[in-house]
Amino acid sequence: MRNLNDQHQIQFLRLFAEHEPALRTYIRSMLPSRGDALEVMQEVAVVLWQKFAEFDGSRDFRKWAFGVARYEVLAYLRDLARDRHVFDEALVHRLADDAAAAEPRHDAQREALEACLQKLKPAQRELVLHAYAKGTRMDELAARRGQTAMSLYKALHRIRQALLECVRRQLSAEGLP
Amino acid sequence: MKSHWHETIQQYVDGQSSAEETVALFNGLNEDADLRALYLDYMNLDMALGAMADAVAVEENGSNRMTSLHGARAGAPQNLWRWAAAAAAMAALILFAMLPRAPKPARTGQDVAAVITSSQNAIARLAFDTTSALPAWMSPTASLLAPPTIPQ
Repeated sequence: MRNLNDQHQIQFLRLFAEHEPALRTYIRSMLPSRGDALEVMQEVAVVLWQKFAEFDGSRDFRKWAFGVARYEVLAYLRDLARDRHVFDEALVHRLADDAAAAEPRHDAQREALEACLQKLKPAQRELVLHAYAKGTRMDELAARRGQTAMSLYKALHRIRQALLECVRRQLSAEGLP
Repeated sequence: MKSHWHETIQQYVDGQSSAEETVALFNGLNEDADLRALYLDYMNLDMALGAMADAVAVEENGSNRMTSLHGARAGAPQNLWRWAAAAAAMAALILFAMLPRAPKPARTGQDVAAVITSSQNAIARLAFDTTSALPAWMSPTASLLAPPTIPQ
């Protein structure tokens, strides 16, 4: 029989796994790069666990996690602002509010993305997944492909725009906003 | 909305925008709700593509049932996010079942972060293992079970 501590951990992991994609997007929307977002995401995971004993199970976990994440992002941005141009606090709150409201649409978009990725030409799919692989340096990837970094970014932009238009079309066809 | 925003947002996403473009984007985001919606959609796409690339990388490094890189990508399952969510609870349970029961030291934040990372890797593996080896109707956790024997 599992003790209360085990159940507590399992409950946390279940909730965290369920809401993790939404939390990633939420954090990413307020930060300049994916690397920054992943760094804050790790910190948020730790803080959520440390505070989980205070979490009221009758409340919405996602809302609670978003609240914690927003303040972790603000703290991170305050450090980052010393040497980089980042969003001011008012814009962070505006984006955070919009991102929270848009989450059902983003959830549907993430699901639609699977099908849209399959509609790309194999070479385009290969390129986008290589570009997003951890540790990929775009200048090195460009050199391997015999391209300039600029032309690689342009190709990536076209693919992402096509993917975004595809998921938006798909959601619109399903009557979703 | 001006069409150049697609390009400007993506340059910002890639860390390639100039100081002037960044300021113009920030001003636009402050004033224009439609632009914020477009920007947030790109950010969602950015994170989702990163998660998919991670899942492919885990498959490349960790599975001896792996299809080729191209095959794994071309054959990526429909509704990967659904599969990942469905597999999450089982992955967590498996991880906890593998943890030592006693003595049980207090778990630190870093331990939990490590468990979460392992859980994410397990989820990614589950999601991709199923594409190459299992029919679509089977559960994402079915790969953990021995194959059924059919009575002769």
